[in-house]
Amino acid sequence: MPQLHDSSSRTAANRSAHYADHARIFGLETEHGISVTGANRTVTASEAAMEMFRPVVERARSTNTYVDNGSRLYLDVGAHPEYATAEARTPLDALLADLAGERTMASMGADAQAVLRRKTGTDLTVHLFRNNVDSVGHSFGCHENYLVRRYVDLAAINDQLLPFLISRQIYTGAGRFAHGRFGVTQRAEFVDETVSSATTRSRPMVNTRDEPHANPEDFRRLHVIIGDTNRSQWATTMKLGTTHLVLCLIEAAARHEYLSGMEKMALADPVAANLMINDFGGRSALHLANGTTLTALEMQEHYLAAAEAFVERFPQEAAQSLGESWNDSSDGADAVGGIRWILDQWRWILGRIEERDWPAMARKVDWTAKATLFVALAHKQGFEGLRDPRLASSPLAAKLTQLDMDYHDIANGTLYPALVRRGMMTTLVTDSQVDRAVREPPSGTRAVLRGRFVRAARDAAPDVRWTCDWTDVAVTAPVRASAILLDPFSAEPTADYDAVMAALG
Amino acid sequence: MPQEQANHQQAVAQDTQARGADEALGQVGQAVVAEAADEVDVLDELLDDLSSVLETNAEEYVSSFVQKGGE
Repeated sequence: MPQLHDSSSRTAANRSAHYADHARIFGLETEHGISVTGANRTVTASEAAMEMFRPVVERARSTNTYVDNGSRLYLDVGAHPEYATAEARTPLDALLADLAGERTMASMGADAQAVLRRKTGTDLTVHLFRNNVDSVGHSFGCHENYLVRRYVDLAAINDQLLPFLISRQIYTGAGRFAHGRFGVTQRAEFVDETVSSATTRSRPMVNTRDEPHANPEDFRRLHVIIGDTNRSQWATTMKLGTTHLVLCLIEAAARHEYLSGMEKMALADPVAANLMINDFGGRSALHLANGTTLTALEMQEHYLAAAEAFVERFPQEAAQSLGESWNDSSDGADAVGGIRWILDQWRWILGRIEERDWPAMARKVDWTAKATLFVALAHKQGFEGLRDPRLASSPLAAKLTQLDMDYHDIANGTLYPALVRRGMMTTLVTDSQVDRAVREPPSGTRAVLRGRFVRAARDAAPDVRWTCDWTDVAVTAPVRASAILLDPFSAEPTADYDAVMAALG
Repeated sequence: MPQEQANHQQAVAQDTQARGADEALGQVGQAVVAEAADEVDVLDELLDDLSSVLETNAEEYVSSFVQKGGE
């Protein structure tokens, strides 16, 4: 039974304000790949990444720093430039924070390219990949973070959430053409565990390490590892939005002590199901632990129905979970990324998959955008499709592998920008919205306080030393002051925070 | 033997799915390339946009991208 009762040391009055609702904190951590072509010697990923981060090291004396909008810039193990978005209250704010990260990373990549060109005396090109696999099979991630109520237990995550995360790839998968084959996902063949607390040696789908960066008695942080990095803004928003609704329905069932109905979705073999979906998409036959079989598309239809039932039963809680007002006449109800929009788009995409409406899907779904182009190129060269046995050993296969990587190159890629320019790929936000997200934190969260601190710290006198982390801000010299910010939902300064800001001078 | 039957059934199911996927991926291309000259023009125009990447050496591009695994 889920644990709904407080431990003896907590009372209702001590609970976080959002313990009793479904408000969410969203975060995306994106590890990038990096490569250099066109130089007169080998320039490794390490060298290129260090060049990218040299200005960060000069400023912060570290390859780990926080920026004006509250997000974190980091050079990860294995020379992966990483951007972790500041806390966001909605999928759309998280999308904007993620696109701000893309803008920032691309700019750092361009600067590194200029320096490396001078250093080598060549016209080399730096490629910065928002993808999940390199050319030899090293995989790296786009990790989603969701704040979830503590009373949702690990069994619920394994039985109810995991099948959803595996089957959503029929519309969130980024696709990948490599070694002569096309798959719906980037990472399926590299995922070998389901729910785990390990992070470097194995590749689980969901990680349960418990640093919630919030009150650990009220919340846990769900760290989803299985997701692909998307270029499609629609796919990023839907990835976050549909997962949010599934978490809501799981939380509601746990809280009110009824069955969500999704308990029966538990898979007999999640790793095998993941590989099946990679090969066969929506029509994959998935074997459930209870002995029955569903297609991935049918499974998604069940989750959508359960989400719709949650919204119908708890309309106020649903609206408020993303900070919307609960009012039928509110314009906000159909705003992009809102509750209504997520449900409508979810129903729409499942219908398109059912109808095999690939042209409509190609404008929103990364794997379909790629497959559409790749199949057309294959036909043009006389192949029967991507499964033509002659394709894998042809020159076209190398070209498709290159185009697949180019799709994810945010520094010098040509394919994705061309699709956007030609109206063949949907965007949800404007350039000026993204510019703003580079400068300003998402509203209504702790990021506001961290961003304000970082901006002030950068402008402070040179002898001022400061640090910050997800949950604290501190000045270490010439005076010492520190503040712990435990509530990710709060943008309100505390007395300690004000003291830290004063210590910046 | 039940296990052999199960394996056989699984093989049949996978074969059916493979053909379904072939059909699916084939239809993806046809939807773009078939019917109208419009579709072919759109592809050709897109390919013009991609000329810089299409002209580079694909093997070199791909093999330059070698990273270590992430977290």
